[in-house]
Amino acid sequence: MDRRTVLKGLAGASGLALTGGLSAPAIAQGASARTLRFVPQANLANFDPIWGTQYVVRNAAALVWDTLYGVDSSLVPQRQMVESEEVTDDGMTWTFKLRSGLKFHDGAPVLSKDVVASLNRWAARDPMGLMLKAIQQELTAVDDRTFKWVLKQPFPKLLYALAKNNSPCAFIMPERIAQTDPFKQISDYVGSGPMKFVTGEWVPGAKAVFEKFADYAPRQEKASWLAGGKQILIDRIEWVIMPDPATAAAALQNGEIDWWENPIADLVPVLKKNKNINVDIGDPLGNIGSFRMNFLYPPFNDVRARRAVLMAMSQEDYMRALVGDDDSLWKPLPGFFTPDTPLYTEVGGEILKGRRDLDAAKKLLAESGYSGQPVTCLVAQDQPITKAMGDVTADLLKKLGMNVDFVATDWGTVGSRRAQKTPPGQGGWNMFHTWHAGADCINPAPYTAIRANGDKAWFGWPTSAGTEKEVTSWFEAKNLDEEKAAIGRLNTAAMDDVVYAPTGFFLSYTAWRKNVSGVTKGPLPFFWGVSKTA
Amino acid sequence: MLSYILRRIVATLPVMAIVALFVFSLLYIAPGDPAVVIAGDQASPEDVERIRQSLGLDRPFLIQFGSWVWRLLHGDLGTSIFTNLPVSTMIGQRLGPTLSLMVITLLLTIVVAVPLGVVAAWKAGSFIDRAIMGFAVFGFSLPVFVVGYVLAYVFALQLEWLPVQGYTPLNQGFWPWLQNLILPAIALGCVYIALVARITRAAMLEVLQQDYIRTAKAKGLGQGGILFIHALKNAAVPIVTVIGIGIALLIGGAVVTESVFAIPGLGRLTIDAILRRDYPVIQGIVLLFSFVYVLVNLMIDVTYTLVDPRIRY
Repeated sequence: MDRRTVLKGLAGASGLALTGGLSAPAIAQGASARTLRFVPQANLANFDPIWGTQYVVRNAAALVWDTLYGVDSSLVPQRQMVESEEVTDDGMTWTFKLRSGLKFHDGAPVLSKDVVASLNRWAARDPMGLMLKAIQQELTAVDDRTFKWVLKQPFPKLLYALAKNNSPCAFIMPERIAQTDPFKQISDYVGSGPMKFVTGEWVPGAKAVFEKFADYAPRQEKASWLAGGKQILIDRIEWVIMPDPATAAAALQNGEIDWWENPIADLVPVLKKNKNINVDIGDPLGNIGSFRMNFLYPPFNDVRARRAVLMAMSQEDYMRALVGDDDSLWKPLPGFFTPDTPLYTEVGGEILKGRRDLDAAKKLLAESGYSGQPVTCLVAQDQPITKAMGDVTADLLKKLGMNVDFVATDWGTVGSRRAQKTPPGQGGWNMFHTWHAGADCINPAPYTAIRANGDKAWFGWPTSAGTEKEVTSWFEAKNLDEEKAAIGRLNTAAMDDVVYAPTGFFLSYTAWRKNVSGVTKGPLPFFWGVSKTA
Repeated sequence: MLSYILRRIVATLPVMAIVALFVFSLLYIAPGDPAVVIAGDQASPEDVERIRQSLGLDRPFLIQFGSWVWRLLHGDLGTSIFTNLPVSTMIGQRLGPTLSLMVITLLLTIVVAVPLGVVAAWKAGSFIDRAIMGFAVFGFSLPVFVVGYVLAYVFALQLEWLPVQGYTPLNQGFWPWLQNLILPAIALGCVYIALVARITRAAMLEVLQQDYIRTAKAKGLGQGGILFIHALKNAAVPIVTVIGIGIALLIGGAVVTESVFAIPGLGRLTIDAILRRDYPVIQGIVLLFSFVYVLVNLMIDVTYTLVDPRIRY
């Protein structure tokens, strides 16, 4: 019996007991209805959304810092801090005007100079920001509420860049903070968002506290993801870090916490049986599982070896290893883009569809010249997602007749070893497993993993001229039809060259007590509109 | 005695220096890179390299070590790579919960284990002795996290007597402080109680066979007086030793217990720092734990003189 089995059994037993109608204990009932206790997906170890791009940092930052634009649930950019914008006919000069009455938490007004400094810092770290910077002529404050961005060539995705929800978001900070080197961490957490960060109560790894910002001026439109009126209906949000899922499950059942962002799949059945708890899909954009093959060394420097792996792999095997038997939590993914988003396509994904052909895959592998050399496969054991996928891959490679050098290690080690370009036998690697947030895979702009520009590409350093050509086509597309056509061609090229191997699309649940209302589905936990009764 | 204590304190300095060198070297050669964790999964290799440079992690070993030691000599444990907070502040934030947990566990152990060991020795070979030693074997065998989950299930979820998780500082009330520590202390104390009870029994068995115990019985002294005044005092040296050694067990056990009961203590800070490769925090904590361990050993040696007047330094 392993630790996971024990905790599942105990949490299950406790869930059954509570389903029988036991009420929350007196200890829990004393908590204020004005305070929401939330267990986030991970520890808030730092609080600089430009310096540290982890999603947990972005999620907390969305409370404290506002953005000029925000994407709504249709992934369309909407005005947020901006009142109006004008663009010249050549598409190269943008003039923006800020809403009046915007204030930072220290009482200072939000001015154009703050915006300019913030955008400069953001642009140094964000892929789209870097593209903008490369074609920027000037970014200047015209007056206190007006700023101008002059480009050397049109950039049709500019508003999307300012509104996007993937990390790093273009958060607006006071100029004095935004002037910090983007590769150094800020230590002053003043924003103009709907909640203030209570620095004095921050215990990294244990607790982070946010209090309602009384002077926040929400927009009048209905809230939708990062757009619209961010109405805060609670006074205080406490983020409680719980490393142990069984403890979080028990605390939620016991009423000691109100909302658990990411319950693990093993414990969801227990939570679903509890009459005091709601369970639903949290982020409809989900995640894409993947493993990457190193283009620099045999056997995967030959496209036939990479294709052989795709021909043989079963996405169902990967997804069942990840989420178990709950079919609502996964989908096959014969492509690279997030399902149910405007640019999703399966064009060119035939190799991942239908019956898996192991014999044909073996033949193709032999044609690639593979002759039994070890395949160094890095698998982080401390991440349930990579561990599950790594086990399936090891089995797959063995079935293909490959000699697997299975390196079971931790995520930190995978993170540094995957950056090594040395041969696999000298500290390098042939494969590693990871996953991508669906929010990063809705289009090529934030999608580092799809880039295939060789030495400059993400780990594995794929080269695919076709893929790169279509990335450019997408950036230049002037309407959705052109974008879709470019993405179809991009998907085909990336699949033909096997930029990486998608193992499937998977979702996860979120769980909250029934006295909490207003929880919405989205790529991050949105606290505006959330209320709580005693 | 005073000069002995001073000598021992001075002797801790080279020990700490060796620990410092060892920890720093170990972390330097260990795989993993905090810059990779900071940069996030989507970062380019260039971003990672710039972060490494900004953190000074690209500098040669001796320069990094020298600058760390220099700051250490000025009482500065450094700044966390991830939180940008001073390591001393982070340790200070976490010290209270861990100290509280260890003190309660230590008290619980002494109050429960020593009498159990004494009774087991007194009733050696009887059903009571076997029951106590059976409990000791049980306590040794059960992993801390299993005991923790069972306790939380029974006393928090079923009986609703105590909370599942968390920590309340002592300045917010004695009972709120204590109620968060009872279950973790029992879970953490199980192994410790088992160990101390067994050692107490073994030491007492030896003492109870001594001539002066027979003399005490012949004089007509009561059983309690013989056991707890004459015998226990003479059996105290090994018991004190094992209680001291057990503090190392507590430090290790606190890591798991704090995770199971979501107590924001040093154990959890250690795990978080190791997983993220937050070198300054790991170094600070290991130094602190080493210092505590050296200090506990000194206290044990001093305690010997209190329980056994024949021992002189």
